[in-house]
Amino acid sequence: MSFRFVSRRVLGSLATLAFVIAFNFFLFRVVEGDPVATLFRGRNLTQEQRATLTHQFGLDGSRAHQFVSYLQQTAQLNLGRSYESNELVSSAIWRAAWPTIALVGVSTLLSTVFGVLIGISAAWKRGSKRDYGLTSFTMTTYAMPDFWLGMLLLVVFGVMLSLFPIGGITNAGSDATGVSKLLDEAHHMFLPCLTLTLAYLGEYALVMRSSLLDTMREDYLVLARAKGLRDIVVRNHHAVPNALLPVVTLIAINFGFVLSGAIAVETIFSWPGLGLATSQAIRGPDLPMLQGLFLVFSASVIFFNLIADLLYAYLDPRVRTG
Amino acid sequence: MQKTSIIERPRTPATPQPSSGRDSSVTRAKRVPFVLAVAGAVAAMLVVAASAPAADNSAKKVTLTVGMSQDVDSMNPAVGALVPDYDIWNVQYATLTDKASSDFHVIPGLATSWKGSKDGKTWTYTLRKGLTWSDGQPLTSADIVYTINRSRKEAWLNYDSTVHNIVATAPNATTVVLHSSVPDPKLPVMDVYIVPKHIYDKISAKDLSKYPATDGVGSGPFTLDKWVKGQYVRLKANPTYYKGKPAYDEIVLRPFSNLDAMVAALKKGEIDAANNIPSTAFKSLAGAKGIVTLQGQQGGFDELALNGGMGLKNKDGTPTANPALLDLRVRQAIAHAIDKKTLVARAIGGIGVPADALSPSANPEWVPKIPADQLYDFDLKQANAILDAAGYKDTDGNGIRNLRNGGKDIVLRYAVRSESSIAKPVAEFVTGWLKQIGIGTKTSTYSDSQLTSVVGKGDYDLFTWGWTPFVDPDPELSYFKCDQLAKDPSDPTNYYNDANFCDKTYDALYAQQHVELDHAKRLAIVHEMLTRWYRDAAYVVIDLSPDLQAYRTDRFTGWTRQPAGVGPVLFSNTTPTYFNLKPIAGASSGGGGLGTPAIGAIGVVVLALIGGIVWVLMRRKSADERE
Repeated sequence: MSFRFVSRRVLGSLATLAFVIAFNFFLFRVVEGDPVATLFRGRNLTQEQRATLTHQFGLDGSRAHQFVSYLQQTAQLNLGRSYESNELVSSAIWRAAWPTIALVGVSTLLSTVFGVLIGISAAWKRGSKRDYGLTSFTMTTYAMPDFWLGMLLLVVFGVMLSLFPIGGITNAGSDATGVSKLLDEAHHMFLPCLTLTLAYLGEYALVMRSSLLDTMREDYLVLARAKGLRDIVVRNHHAVPNALLPVVTLIAINFGFVLSGAIAVETIFSWPGLGLATSQAIRGPDLPMLQGLFLVFSASVIFFNLIADLLYAYLDPRVRTG
Repeated sequence: MQKTSIIERPRTPATPQPSSGRDSSVTRAKRVPFVLAVAGAVAAMLVVAASAPAADNSAKKVTLTVGMSQDVDSMNPAVGALVPDYDIWNVQYATLTDKASSDFHVIPGLATSWKGSKDGKTWTYTLRKGLTWSDGQPLTSADIVYTINRSRKEAWLNYDSTVHNIVATAPNATTVVLHSSVPDPKLPVMDVYIVPKHIYDKISAKDLSKYPATDGVGSGPFTLDKWVKGQYVRLKANPTYYKGKPAYDEIVLRPFSNLDAMVAALKKGEIDAANNIPSTAFKSLAGAKGIVTLQGQQGGFDELALNGGMGLKNKDGTPTANPALLDLRVRQAIAHAIDKKTLVARAIGGIGVPADALSPSANPEWVPKIPADQLYDFDLKQANAILDAAGYKDTDGNGIRNLRNGGKDIVLRYAVRSESSIAKPVAEFVTGWLKQIGIGTKTSTYSDSQLTSVVGKGDYDLFTWGWTPFVDPDPELSYFKCDQLAKDPSDPTNYYNDANFCDKTYDALYAQQHVELDHAKRLAIVHEMLTRWYRDAAYVVIDLSPDLQAYRTDRFTGWTRQPAGVGPVLFSNTTPTYFNLKPIAGASSGGGGLGTPAIGAIGVVVLALIGGIVWVLMRRKSADERE
């Protein structure tokens, strides 16, 4: 891969990020509203207290003035303080990031692995009962809204069978540490993780299946068979590696969305991650929190897109020359 | 995470599949281990999950677990503003005087007795002897004076309205004197949370808003033990509390972002009580065995607000409201067109109590009874008659009345709150009734944040929202004074009067009750104010909206409603429930309820992964061997 190719992609990503930073500021101010009035409605504040809060929130200057100080802050990696909790946005995001990375990360991994396996299996026996079975299954889970699937699993496994807790990340009030804490967290993570895995399995399975079907009519596969290779060898060594290309891109791009969390599923399972933080911040609106969250989300998507670009170019030489 | 759309490329005939008997038999033979692995994993999960022992190391402690719909925003009493915060301060910080659970009347707190001067401006309190903070430091008059004076100087969010006119002094360690610059009918009640001087002294005014206040030093029955934001707040019993150590060890407050899951957790016994139960689930819960449901009234109400047109004006100097609304008769006709019983029964899900006058306090004594001849009963005929008599005729025959002298159709802008579950159904009924009296409507939906701005600018004619008042009626009454009308166009939301209507007599009466020390007289003044407010019909109160709560009866007794008979058991003004609860002998200790069969979760993930990997490897291995 040439230096020129890589540097062009990196610069492109940085430009996108700069645009996003500026865009974020205006995005959340398009909708009119006064966070001070909303957050403190009915709290019996005096006019002076309101003015103090407005100043403290940096909402008192002109829009242009606010924008400049926002840019200065962001350049110093200071995302400001949450209106609602007065906590540093960066530490709030840092705290909420780990539950999300664990939940969405693991489920993305699982849905990738199982999705790809299902896709291969279905495509290779196209038209068989197995193909119909697997394709119908993945189409069904893919079509189900994730919040509905989550609610269903919660009712069946959490309430009716009592096998799993009904939300949260640990037993509330638990002091567990070390392995028992980890086990407790895994126990709480099971249902949301299963929901997300099932919901996104279909995407990988269907892409993998159609990609493999395309590959299966290539001449080199006929040649491989003509050489006398066993079916399984033709599949695993000749067909699948070539068919994986679009899936790799999809995986890389979807990993960019890991941080954005899963707003609906996190809300259903009271999972204190970035998705839940986003839905809570929108209510205020807690502008610094929303700006911080969207910056992190966009940066992560941009980064993984860059990785996907570079990876694709590495895997498929046609891309970098084209 | 987003789903990307999948467009399957056009299918072409697949490569002919080899169909030798050997191959297909191999495939079938390989498939068995995979199926077995998955089945084994699932079975293992179920078995292990169901049988794993509880790994809860706090099993011996008796814990009360409360589910709530909101997380705590800040532990800092000078900063926090959300409902759960107040319950934490209620148990962590004692106040100079306490409030009775029955009717909020003043009872001893840190002070056992008090005496007022004749003009009602000076009150002298005698403290209990031997008070200490939970960290062992003595709690003296210095802490109380410090809290009151500092919170006044720095205008602390939750303190300022109470201490605004008060200066505190301490002649000795067990005496506190409060000097009010005006006669203050709220005294001798002094219910601000007293903070430990030896801790807050180290925090400057500048740093105070950033102080997380997780020091856990308090003087109430429980103090903060651990807070994991987004997950739980744990408070432990305070052995130095002046009424004695509580009868159980811990309170755990647990936020739920899914309220149906919270109800399920209550049914299962994962939590002992829950607040903000969705109205749909509330009814199903009412019949559940071992669970008590209650509609806790503490003065909260819903209203249909009309734009009285006295706030900000349009650029040409005309009022922002529809001109018809400036006419008292039109507002009264609208009040006659609102069937509150139907709204409660059908739009609000049968929860709540139809109401007439505005409720300014958690204590129902402040709500006047409107005389029968002044009530705006639901009567569309009368509403039509009022409008006819006032000269609003449908001159163009389109079914909608016109403004007088051949004016435009009367079409009111109805702002509907997107964040309220009742606003939309209420709007559907109301617009239907208004149509029947010849008033058109145009509805728009807003988020709460947008609506505050819309209301401030006066860009509305009607909206439905609500208030939850404090115990003293003064703050709620103050919101409808003339000085709370939006005045500054560059900052239209910095005001409370969202009816855009005010009345000079109301203001004068407000000023009277503000300094009236005789309770009976003050009560009469407030009743008069609210009867006037009712008559002017700028605010059509729909119902008293309760807090929907439920608790289990199997583990604790002593649930206390505040005020008696009608109030909630949790998240009330001082929430006496926490101290009053006694564990039932022989009941399980609680603290999460369920054990931790976590191995099941790990097991299934690991086994499923191993299954998948083994499957792939086996295929690959056999393939390698034969290539």
